[in-house]
Order: sequence, then structure tokens, then C-alpha cells
Amino acid sequence: MSKSSEESPSRRTFMMVVIGLISAIVGVALAVPILGTILSPLFKKRDIVWTELSKVSDLEKIKPLTPRFIPVYFRVKEGWSINTLPRQVVVVKDITGNFYFFSNQCTHLGCPLHWVPAREKFLCPCHGGMFNALGKVVGGPPPRPLYRWVHKIEKNTVFIQNKFEDNPKDRGI
Amino acid sequence: MFKKMFKKTQDWFDERIGLTEVINEFNNERIPRRGGWAYTFGSLLAFLFTIQVVTGIFLLFYYVPYFPIARNATYYIKHHVLLGNILLGIHLWGAFTMIFFLLIHMSRVYFSGAYKKPRELQWVVGMVLFSVVVILGLTGYMLVGNENSWWTINVLTNVASHTPIIGGLLRIVVKGGTETSVITMQHIFAVHVWLLPIVVILFIPIHLFLIRKTGHQGMALEYKNSKLPDDDPNKWIHPDGTVPFFPDQFFKDMIIALGVFAVVYILAIYVGAPIGPMYRPLALNFAPEADWYFLANEELLKYFPGHGLIIFSTFLVPTIGFIILFALPFIDRGHERSPFKRPAATVLGILFLLLLVYLTLIGGEPKAPATV
Repeated sequence: MSKSSEESPSRRTFMMVVIGLISAIVGVALAVPILGTILSPLFKKRDIVWTELSKVSDLEKIKPLTPRFIPVYFRVKEGWSINTLPRQVVVVKDITGNFYFFSNQCTHLGCPLHWVPAREKFLCPCHGGMFNALGKVVGGPPPRPLYRWVHKIEKNTVFIQNKFEDNPKDRGI
Repeated sequence: MFKKMFKKTQDWFDERIGLTEVINEFNNERIPRRGGWAYTFGSLLAFLFTIQVVTGIFLLFYYVPYFPIARNATYYIKHHVLLGNILLGIHLWGAFTMIFFLLIHMSRVYFSGAYKKPRELQWVVGMVLFSVVVILGLTGYMLVGNENSWWTINVLTNVASHTPIIGGLLRIVVKGGTETSVITMQHIFAVHVWLLPIVVILFIPIHLFLIRKTGHQGMALEYKNSKLPDDDPNKWIHPDGTVPFFPDQFFKDMIIALGVFAVVYILAIYVGAPIGPMYRPLALNFAPEADWYFLANEELLKYFPGHGLIIFSTFLVPTIGFIILFALPFIDRGHERSPFKRPAATVLGILFLLLLVYLTLIGGEPKAPATV
């Protein structure tokens, strides 16, 4: 018969080490797949798609510095499903005729911006951010100008990608 | 005859597991006598939490955490499930009441100095419970699946994204991707229904166990007859008078519980749970609103403009605030208990509460842009 822990201090140490080791092995063996499950989204590549927005000839009719909100529907893979992401594209023509394709999300924390014609500004209903028609911050807490959608123009048609230019941390969207 | 049967049953259990002794061990705890009503908030919170668990379990019979469907499932519970409006209403108003009384419970403990040595851990465990309950409230708001839920998810995950270094990754992990999706909702659901309730269920017994270990150290008015000076820790061990927990204190607990439950029930029936409109990511005129307990924090987000300062409102101020609250017993180490004998702590506490109320009130004002 083996000695009890009370009879032999070294036996006691041995048993404590074994108990600790077993706990550690089981703990780590469980923690690894659990961590994998939690961190999995970091290893998934985002589904990026092109979606048709509008004809350039239609956009030409927009008045300068008057935003037009055009909805787009991105069909993207999200997790186990294919989903439609409805998003607003805010098209603004400046006085020289250049087009800007802004997102209507506030760059502060992502609330939906309201265009207030009387003040010619985008206002954020959450924390009071203000942007002018060209997307510059003119008041409130937003840290940067409006996000611009990645876009391309092919054969008189504007295509939009579900991705912002100059947005390293993928905030917003 | 019933008495005899009861006695026989009791003897049967006592012979095997000593049940009466166990029950007496729980019930005969001595509670300081004078502050009885002020000590009811703790058990009230345990009572409210039990109600949240019970109502929550049965809401799951109908709820689906899938973004477009979630709001319709909630709507179905309210309007089509028999008495579902009451169940949902109790869950909502119970949650509000719980957060409200948590603040009262914390204030009571703060002003009576009950977090002082040897009860530091008691306060820390209480703060864990407080943090978890607030997150439970926020995730519950998101699970309704209406328009506010959608924007709350977006705003709060964007707040998280301003955490230094890991912010961007944190946001993706929490959302289960870069977009608010089915998986985001499933994450929130798992956290609200499994993860956090289990934390609460684990920490409430620790909270209670610690009271037993450190002894009931009541408010200063329990020790008027003591001749020991205030800076003698032994003074706080023996209150002037005590009563047994059962039935004296439990009686008061039950009366308060009934009163609060009645209010929750009436609010559930007559006000109910507002479901709100379906989420519309394309909406051009929607002004998202936070729940009342988050308005103070929401107001904070309006200040600190620009790229360099945003971290103050999203990360530094709330984090430092929480660290100070967690570490309170280690910062304030004097032996004085009476709020009148430690004016600095009392005045700071009152000022903090006033600031909280003020921020909540101006945070709740209708916002100009939505109405222009």
C-alpha cells in the first residue's frame, strides 16, 4: 500500500503536483479550442463585392453640393448565410463636377446622419457631430471626415464596394 | 395530526442529513438591529435577479436571436402569446428596477462606509456584479432586435474599437465579423442568456459568503453605545443590538420585495415593454436612443472632439472611473464609518450622484438634428 500524504511529505508534494498538472492539462486543452472559437472572426476574410449604384448620366443631374441618398444592397457571405446588407451611399457633386461617394454613417460612433437642407450640413442625431456637404467635420466630436465608399466607374455606370477608403481599422460599415 | 406528520418528516431528514441544523445555520444569522430597512436592498436585488432568470427562461420559448426575426419574435411575445406582454414587461421593468436599486444599494454601502476593512473584497465582488448587470441590461436592449438595438450594437462596438491597441480586433471579435450580422446577434444572445447570468449566479453566493465571513458590520448608528474610539477596528464587531435574520430581517425583506414587485407588475401591465419599429439600416430620419441608465455615458461621448481626444470619452474616462470604483476600499482606508465624520467622502459621493443625475437628464433631452 502506498503511503498517505500525512505519512510522507514528499508523497504529498507529488500528489499536489499531479493534481496541478491534470488541472492545467484539462484547462489548456479546453481553453485552446474555446479561444479559437472566440477569435475565429479575426481569421475570416471579409467578403468584398461590387454592386451597381447608378448611371453616371443620372448623377450628372444632381445639383452641386446637394447630397443624394442612394441605397445599395450588398449580397455578401456572413458566417453561414448569404445576407443582403442595405446601405446608404451619399452622392455629392462639388462645384467643379467631381463626385464624392460618402457613407451616411457618422465617423464618431456610426450613427445614421441626417441631411439638414436649411443648414446645408449633415448632423449626427446621437452625439451632435456635424459635417459639411463635402464631408469635412465642422462641429461636434467626430475624429475624421466622412468615410468614402470604394468605387469605380465603368462604361457610364458607377460600382460601389462594401468597403471604405482610408479606413485601416474597418470602423463603420 | 399534521404537526405529528411534520415532526416525523423532519426527524427523517434530520437523522440522515441534519437538515434542521443546516436551516438554522442559515436563518439564525445575527443582523444589526437599528438599520433593518436599509439592509433590505441586497436581498431585494437577489429577489429581482431570480425574477429575471425565471421570466427570461420562459421568454426563450418564443425568442429567436436572428436579426430581422428577433424583433418580430419579441413583438409576437408581446401581442400574440397569452399573457406574454406581462412576462416581457416584468423582464424589462424588472431589469430597470434592478439597475436602479443596484445604484441605491451601492450608495447605501458607500455612505455608511460599509466597504471598509475587513470588507474590501465584499465591495469588489459587488462591483463585479454591478458591471455584469449593466452589461446584461445593454445586451438585453440589443436583443429586442428593433431599430434602437441595431444602432446600439453599432455604436457600442465602435466605442470598443477605440480601446488602445486591441480596439479594432476587439470590435471584430465581439461582432463576429466587421458587419453587424446574424453572428453578432448570436454572440450577444449567448452572452446575455448564458455567460453573464452564470457569472451573476456564481458571484451572488460569494457576496453572501463574504458577509458571513467578515461579519455584519452595519451603519455607524448601530454602535452608539460602544465606548471604543472610531479608529479602533474592534468597535465595528459588536453592534448594540442584533436580531436573527429569520424571521426579523427576512420579514422586512419580504415587505420591500412585495412592494417593488407590485410596482414592477403594475408597470409591466400598464406600460409594458415598448417594442419599437423594425430595424432599417437605410433610415434617413432615425435618432437612436440609449436606455436611461446609459444616458450619462452617452452624454459623455458628446464631448472630447477630434481624433486625439476621442479616446477620453470612449475609453479613458469610463475605465478610470470604473478602476476608482473597484479600488474604492483601497483608496479610502480610514476607520471612520459615519457619513458625518468623513465629510470629504460624503461630499464627493453626493457630487458624483448629482453629476450622474445631471448627465442623465441632459443626455435624455431630445436631440436637435432629428427634429430640424
